[in-house]
Amino acid sequence: MQPAGKTDAGPARTRRPSSRTRWDATDLSLVAVFAALIAALAILPGIPVGPLGVPITLQTLGVMLAGIVLGPARGTAAVLLYLVAGLIGLPVFSGFSGGFGVLAGPSAGYLVAFPLAALVSGLLAVVVLRRAKRSRTLLLFLACLAASLLTIHPLGIAGLVVNAGLPVRDAIVVDAAYLPGDVVKNLLAAVLAVSVHRAFPRLLAGRPVPRA
Amino acid sequence: MRGYGSTLGLYQPGSGFLYRTPLPVKAVVSLACAVVVIAWRSPATSAVALVLSLAALTIGAHQSPARILRMLLPAAPVLGILAVYQGVSQGWLHAVAVVGGIAACLLAARAVTLTTPTQDLLDGVARLARPFRAVGADPERFALALSIMLRSIPYLAGLFVDVREAARARGLDRHPRVAVTPLVVGAVAYAHRTGEALAARGLGGAVDEEGIGEGRPEDSGSGAGRTPPRAPGGERTDPWDAGGRPRLSPGPPSRTGVAPPRHLRC
Repeated sequence: MQPAGKTDAGPARTRRPSSRTRWDATDLSLVAVFAALIAALAILPGIPVGPLGVPITLQTLGVMLAGIVLGPARGTAAVLLYLVAGLIGLPVFSGFSGGFGVLAGPSAGYLVAFPLAALVSGLLAVVVLRRAKRSRTLLLFLACLAASLLTIHPLGIAGLVVNAGLPVRDAIVVDAAYLPGDVVKNLLAAVLAVSVHRAFPRLLAGRPVPRA
Repeated sequence: MRGYGSTLGLYQPGSGFLYRTPLPVKAVVSLACAVVVIAWRSPATSAVALVLSLAALTIGAHQSPARILRMLLPAAPVLGILAVYQGVSQGWLHAVAVVGGIAACLLAARAVTLTTPTQDLLDGVARLARPFRAVGADPERFALALSIMLRSIPYLAGLFVDVREAARARGLDRHPRVAVTPLVVGAVAYAHRTGEALAARGLGGAVDEEGIGEGRPEDSGSGAGRTPPRAPGGERTDPWDAGGRPRLSPGPPSRTGVAPPRHLRC
C-alpha cells in the first residue's frame, strides 16, 4: 500500500495535461468546487459501523456525484484533488483526519478506490445521458451501483485485509455492512444528478463529444 | 454562511524546532512513518513510531499532553473499536501494534500541518508538482485549483447548514433529497460564478489558443512562491444563473497585478 500516496498524487498532475487543452476557467473551478463538496460531505459527522468502525459518511455520495455530474475526466480530477489535499494533511477526510497516516488506517482501500469509482461512474453516466431519454434516474443509479461494486468494494476489502489484518472472509463480511448504505447513497446521487443536469443542461450532456 | 472557517485553521503559531524544520524534511519523515508502520507491523515498530511522534510534538512544537490527546479525539471511535476487535480476535499485543501505528501516523501528519502555515503547505505541493512540468503538467493551475477548493469548503459547509435549516423550517428535514439538492445545485452555480470571476481576471485560463503561453521563461522564479490569488467568492447575492448560459471566453490575459498562470505547451 505504500506507493498509494505516490500513485494518488501523481495522476493528479500527470492527468491534467491530457485534458487541459479543453479546460477553461469554469472547468477548473468546477473541479475545485466538487473536490470541496466531497470534503464538506466527508467532514459532516459519520457513523462508525461494523467491528472496525470505518465510518459511513456522505463521502462516497460526493465521489459518485463528481463522476456523474462532471463526467469522467473532470470527476476523476476532482476526486484526485480531494485526495491530494487530504494526503498532504488537510483535515478533509471523514473524522477530520488527514495526512499520510490514513494510508495506514483501515479505510485506505476505500480512499484509493474513489478516483476509479468516479472514472467508472462518469464513463457510464456519459453513455446514459447521451443515449437515454427516459428513466435516467434509474440508469444513473445503476451506473453508480456498478461503479461502487466494481471499484470501491473490492479495493475496500483489500484495504481491510492489508491494513487491519483481517482474513479475507471477515473483510467481505465487514464490507457488506456498507452495502445497504451504499445503495441508498447511490440512489440519492442519481436523483441529485438528474436535478443538477436539469438545472445546468450544458454541464455534461450538452458538451460536444470530446474531440479526438 | 456560517463560521466554519476555523475548521481549516490548522496552523498554530508557536515555537520549537519543528517550526524551523523545512517542510520537505517534515513531509518525508511523516510519509516514512506511514510506510514503516505498514511495512513492518510489530509492537516494537509502532512503539518507536509513537514515541518519536509524541516526542516531536512535545519537544519540537511545545504541545502539552492534553492537546496531543485532543488531536486524536476525532479518530478515537475508530481506533477504540479497532483496538477492541484486534485485541479480542488476535491478541492485545497485535492490537497495540495496529492501533499504535495508526495513531503514530496520524500524529506525525498532524505535526506537519500544525507547524506549517497552510499557504506554505500549498506552495510546497506546487513545488512538488514542478518536475511534472516535463510531461506537461501545470503546477500553477494545480495550486490554483487547490486553493479554490480550500476556500470553497467553508462556503459549502455554511450552505449545507442553511439549506438544512430551510428544509427543517418546512418540516422536510427527513427527506435527504430536499436537504441536499439545493446544496449540489448551489455548488455548481458557485463553481460557475467562480469560473467566470477567474476568467474575467485572465486566470485559470483556457487555453484553446494553442501556444500562447509558449514564451514563459522557465526562470519565472519560484513558481511555487507565487501564491495563487484568492478567487473571489461568497457573493451570495448573485442570482443563480439559469442553465445553459454561454461560457465567457477568458479574453486576453490581463497583465495587471498577478500573472495569469499561462500553461506551457509541449
